[in-house]
Amino acid sequence: MWQKIGMVLVLLVLFSLSTACTFTETAFTRTANNAGSAFAAAEVTLTYAHEGKITYSYAASSVVIFQSELSGTDQTLAAQGAANIHTLQRLLALFSPAIQVIDAPCLSNMCNWRKQREILNRASQAFLQAGSS
Amino acid sequence: MKKQWLSIALGIVTATGGFLDAGTIATAGEAGAKFGLGLIWVILVATIAIILLVEMIGRFTAVSKKTYAEAIREDFGFRFYLLPLSSELIAESLMLAAELGGISIALSLFTGISWHIFFPFVALFIWILAWRAPFDLIENGPALLGLVTLSFLAGIIALGGIPAPLIPTLWHPSFQQGTVAEYLYLSAAIFGSTISPYLLYFYSSGAREEHWSGASLLLNRVTAIVGMGFGSMGSISLVVLAAIVLQPLNISSNTLGELGLVMAKPFGIVGSFLFALVLFATCTGAALEVVLAISYNIAQGFGWEWGENKKPIEAARFNLVMTIFLLIAVVIGLIGIDPLQLALFASTVIALFLPISLSPFLILMNDPEYLGNKTNGRFTNIAMIGILVLAFLVAIISLPLAIITGGG
Amino acid sequence: MIDPHDEVFSIRDILDSQLLTSDGRRIGRVADISAEEHTDGSLKLTHLVVGPQALAGRVNSHLRSLFLFFLRDRFEHSIPISEVTRFGPTLHLRGKAEDYAVGQSERWIAKHILRWIPGNGR
Repeated sequence: MWQKIGMVLVLLVLFSLSTACTFTETAFTRTANNAGSAFAAAEVTLTYAHEGKITYSYAASSVVIFQSELSGTDQTLAAQGAANIHTLQRLLALFSPAIQVIDAPCLSNMCNWRKQREILNRASQAFLQAGSS
Repeated sequence: MKKQWLSIALGIVTATGGFLDAGTIATAGEAGAKFGLGLIWVILVATIAIILLVEMIGRFTAVSKKTYAEAIREDFGFRFYLLPLSSELIAESLMLAAELGGISIALSLFTGISWHIFFPFVALFIWILAWRAPFDLIENGPALLGLVTLSFLAGIIALGGIPAPLIPTLWHPSFQQGTVAEYLYLSAAIFGSTISPYLLYFYSSGAREEHWSGASLLLNRVTAIVGMGFGSMGSISLVVLAAIVLQPLNISSNTLGELGLVMAKPFGIVGSFLFALVLFATCTGAALEVVLAISYNIAQGFGWEWGENKKPIEAARFNLVMTIFLLIAVVIGLIGIDPLQLALFASTVIALFLPISLSPFLILMNDPEYLGNKTNGRFTNIAMIGILVLAFLVAIISLPLAIITGGG
Repeated sequence: MIDPHDEVFSIRDILDSQLLTSDGRRIGRVADISAEEHTDGSLKLTHLVVGPQALAGRVNSHLRSLFLFFLRDRFEHSIPISEVTRFGPTLHLRGKAEDYAVGQSERWIAKHILRWIPGNGR
């Protein structure tokens, strides 16, 4: 009887492990997705500010929150590790300029906001792609 | 007759402020951004549940002249009373900090000043209102302002309505690789944020503050159905807006500021400010309800004087508890956790303790000593059992899912 | 409704009841009761007990001992059953709030803490 119970338990564990692969994301993909989403949101916030859909004050407040959300993401990703080392290196290379934009967003007419938008766009695309793999 | 209708109108408006708060706004935004319309059914089920619960607790208090906390202590004893009390203390301390954070973020979206700076002043603002404002002002002020929530519906119309490709996600949400756990986690969080026990403690106490009686049962029923329905409309509208605007842009709505973009798209600057105003109004109402609910619960449970229509020195322990909890919320808030994440976490904790908070209903609502001939009918009892089963399921899955998904 | 002349009634009906004074003030809830044994073996309820030690004892007897060690009965108060004029979920008391030691923390907090806060209604 105990053998049968043990077999059922083993099967249950195997089943849950196999479903867990698609049931939830890995820590790395979750971090990458969240970062990709934050960069995408920052890109749209910057665009809307310069298109007059939100005030610069609104954008500035939003960006402060993105800063705290993205703070330390590069270290977290490096610690979690990607299946492909090249993917990780590419993400880290794109993270650095993107976080500089978040730390100093162009919220006036005196700077090149379109260039900042491109940087954020590249970063968000790469992170979201890594998050969906 | 006119005054009674006015009471109904104000009652409806009040229920709106109780439904929408930082928690429901946070969960609605994420739900729409990540799963399209696929979680609307959860909001609808939670709405039906909260309508039933609000109607029941209002009926109970109007007829028995006892509040929920008083009845739990008197009917179940002190040892059992400690269970819902403990769960409320933990969950609502977190939720209060989240609501204060929501108000702070709303102010920062208007002004550009960091929400961290606003936080202690917002706590002071809430304290002043709870300290001296009469119950009418607390009940109706933020709620009237919360009518601005109707602008979410206007936003959907301005964006051309729900796009046809989105409609099938109502019954067939699209799951990306590895998002099933997140879907279930958000389901649990939506239940926790909608069926918030603080609303029941506050509503019950408010019925006593306003001297409801057996003649108030119609007012109670209309308030429950139309008021909660109105709040649900606001929540569902936000899901739809997030699905239309944020999902195609791969924005997950992890922060309150980016959620405001859903109103900026159709209405520009006015839209973004309307969102900030909704956030301000609903979180102010909710902050007051949460801090007063904790104070009502403790004062009523321990048999102390209580009441917003009394001067502070006439209900000294009640007002001291209120002040202490605001200070605790300030300490939690100063840790600096993003209010939206805090609201999601608080909703998860509420979901975890939901069965403890709701289980007394089944006994109290069938006790003729309290309710005379106004006890639950068969349908309501079956619905109540259904709600409790749901609450147990949600409680079981909420914490493991929060851990697996990293809190959404 | 409990008849005070009943010889036997449920302790549950008394415990956790609200205490309401003659001037309409809520001063606390019954945490425990004390009784004396008669020669015929029956128990007669003598006092209503209010206080944190009594409450702690309702949760666990060891907790009561712990509370006793720290609080030394400073906050335990008894009200003679003769003070109750009406029984029910709310026990109506003969005297006014200031006549009872129960609820004195309310007066103390009002006098020593809240009075320093503006708008306290004094």
